[in-house]
Amino acid sequence: MKKSLWILGTIALALLIDRACGMFLSKITKESQFRYSRLYNGNEEVDVLFVGNSRGLSFFQPYTEEKTGHSTANLSYNGMPIELAATLVQDYLDRHKAPKVMVMDLTLLDSVRMDNKLAYQFNHYSPYSGRLSKLLKQEFKNDYYAGQLSQLYRHNSEVFQRTFFYWKKTDKDWLLDRVISQEMLANVAKHENLRFHYDSKMLNHLTEMVKYAQNKGTRVELVVNPYYPEFIPKLTNIDTLVMDVERTSGVTVRRYTSAVQPAEAFGDYQHVNKVGAKLYVDKLVEDGVLSKWTK
Amino acid sequence: MIFNSLPFFVFIGIFLPLFFSTKRSESLWTWASIGFATLAEAVLWYGTSQGWWNWPIHGLILATTIGSRILGPLKGQHLISLVGSYVFYGWWDWKFLFLVGFSTLLDFTLGLLVDRESEKKRRRKMMILSIFMNLGFLAFFKYFNFFIDSAAQFLLALGFEPHMTTLKIILPIGISFYTFQSMSYVIDVYRRHMPAEKNFLKYAAFVSFWPQLVAGPIVRAKDFLPQFNHNHGFDWDRVITGTGRILWGFFKKCVVADSLSPFVDQIFMEPDAFTSINLLIGVIFYSFQIYCDFSGYSDIAIGFARVLGFKFNENFRTPYFSQNFSEFWQRWHISLSSWLRDYLYIPLGGNRQGKLGTYRNNMITMLLGGLWHGANWTFMFWGFLHGMYLIAQRQLGRPFGTLMTGLHFPKAMKVAFNIALTYFFTCLAWIFFRATSFDKAIDVIVGLTTWSGYTIVSMMNKFWVVKGVLLIGLLLAVEVTDLKMHWNWLAHRSITFRIAAYATLLALIAFFGSFGSGAFIYFQF
Repeated sequence: MKKSLWILGTIALALLIDRACGMFLSKITKESQFRYSRLYNGNEEVDVLFVGNSRGLSFFQPYTEEKTGHSTANLSYNGMPIELAATLVQDYLDRHKAPKVMVMDLTLLDSVRMDNKLAYQFNHYSPYSGRLSKLLKQEFKNDYYAGQLSQLYRHNSEVFQRTFFYWKKTDKDWLLDRVISQEMLANVAKHENLRFHYDSKMLNHLTEMVKYAQNKGTRVELVVNPYYPEFIPKLTNIDTLVMDVERTSGVTVRRYTSAVQPAEAFGDYQHVNKVGAKLYVDKLVEDGVLSKWTK
Repeated sequence: MIFNSLPFFVFIGIFLPLFFSTKRSESLWTWASIGFATLAEAVLWYGTSQGWWNWPIHGLILATTIGSRILGPLKGQHLISLVGSYVFYGWWDWKFLFLVGFSTLLDFTLGLLVDRESEKKRRRKMMILSIFMNLGFLAFFKYFNFFIDSAAQFLLALGFEPHMTTLKIILPIGISFYTFQSMSYVIDVYRRHMPAEKNFLKYAAFVSFWPQLVAGPIVRAKDFLPQFNHNHGFDWDRVITGTGRILWGFFKKCVVADSLSPFVDQIFMEPDAFTSINLLIGVIFYSFQIYCDFSGYSDIAIGFARVLGFKFNENFRTPYFSQNFSEFWQRWHISLSSWLRDYLYIPLGGNRQGKLGTYRNNMITMLLGGLWHGANWTFMFWGFLHGMYLIAQRQLGRPFGTLMTGLHFPKAMKVAFNIALTYFFTCLAWIFFRATSFDKAIDVIVGLTTWSGYTIVSMMNKFWVVKGVLLIGLLLAVEVTDLKMHWNWLAHRSITFRIAAYATLLALIAFFGSFGSGAFIYFQF
């Protein structure tokens, strides 16, 4: 019997380590300057809110603040699924005064390119959001309950690593500073077509998010962020996507697909870099999407 | 089923108590097993709302328990081991069981016939029949499509338009491992290295022993079969050391290997889309991914075998600290390299046939070792490269050693240089092993030599890289300090250290582990 006590001792110590480390990691999550930590702390009151996937990141936030003088937040993340985007936006609106405008890139409506498991990576924010917990319980039942059992497991994700990285510094200056390679420019014709795969469920999530924001008094601008001009013919069903979104959400989509022209303004075919982000934001201001409060 | 899965944890919870329950004085274990089976089902029912009271599973447990009681402690344990192994293996696809069963029956019968036969020619014929049949299975299931495709491509290159039919053959998991194991048994009986096994149940339990059935280590009948000669009771010391080994294996697999795999997969899927620095990191990460994936599996297998009272030989001994390629092959996948040495290299003549004969034997062994891994020319080329390395080492080893001595480097520096050089060429060969085609392997090599691509800014995902480097550092630190500290010995001796070490490993697995990707790389071989 005595020999078997070490198993109980190991389990007890493992739980102790788990809880102690979990407390420390939760503290980091709370104190972090990462955008989602700021969201759940209620410290992100802004006028302009950007939402999207990796195409929505770039340099939009700092340059919008510089250009318009208005506070800006960006909830975009690589491969963001629409269900998660809707959850984060609604959580944002519940915790803050409604922003004046929300700019959302609708090309995140793509089940092939979105990261299906991304929501699970937000597990460490689940104690702060009933809505997020519900989503995790629905989509990642085992992971959700494993996260309840082990605090360390709850923090086992790349999103937490980013939360940790931005513990003591802000992520607001994030930018994409690479320039599309000559090889990519030469091979654009050979690139395969890009088709958006979406269904009515995804469109409903988008509509739900749009209505929620509008009811809070936020003006919603649905946009298509720029693509490298010669890549645009590869987008086989962008027109159908825009029509479907307009029909279900009732919002007219602003198409900025070809708003940025120079090759040096792109990191690759689908992402503008810092130069491109500036050109694009200039265009948004010029068109009145962001210009109502220009100082 | 795979080790890092929920069904396996249910399996082990039922199997272990049942395995230890074969003595009448230990009937408590039987109840523990049935109790766990019921509990597991209740949990699964609650979690998935599917099925309550799985009659086939409970029927099997009951039948095995009654059967083992009728057969007695020793044969009863063989029966439990056999049934458990077939459940473990049949979890993938029950149809594969026919193949294991047939291979077992064939070699058991041939082993007996070879043993009884006194005329050498006839014994030899029977042994060749065993080799022919086992390699025939392997050739059909593993290489049939490969040879047909290669022949079609060859004819196409000659200007013909072949119309060849390829069958959609599914590769049975672990076929390369158990056919080699079963085949070597008949060869050993033929060589009179061991007598034939007369107990079919014991032999079947040996061939299908679940901890090593699907990805090794490849065990030898003469070492392993005698371990089935006595009943294996429960032993705390074995549980302690075995558990430590299992946890370390899970750490290697779930934490290190699976954390590196997303980066590696992206790099090798489209190498021409990534810059040199990404390719370099991808190749280094792959070298550790495959090491931790495979040696992690071996650690888990060795650990479970130890808990059950069996001993496997080591399969890996810190291979990336090798100073040359002979040493590398004494430290990497030892059970396969020693199998190839004993059943291929030495029968071919080994190093007793002059310089050219030795080189030829080296090359044949390595080429077939490459082909063993899979039906692809890239595996063959990987074997060819290792064959060339061994030949180059024999040819250049002495002048190189003289040069190093002449340069009067400190010993530590010489050792470090040799390790780095061996690791560099090992990685070069890994590129061909991992790439799905020659074109992609060449893309990786061309990319690596594009010096302008070594920029931090073009690094794909710095978080993956930092995590990977951190985990590789941790792994190497444990392996290096183990030489002085003997962690396993310490865990066995000191209860405080054991509790701290095992709890830390559990915490590391929870915090860094990847639990989604599942399968081990070596299952495909």
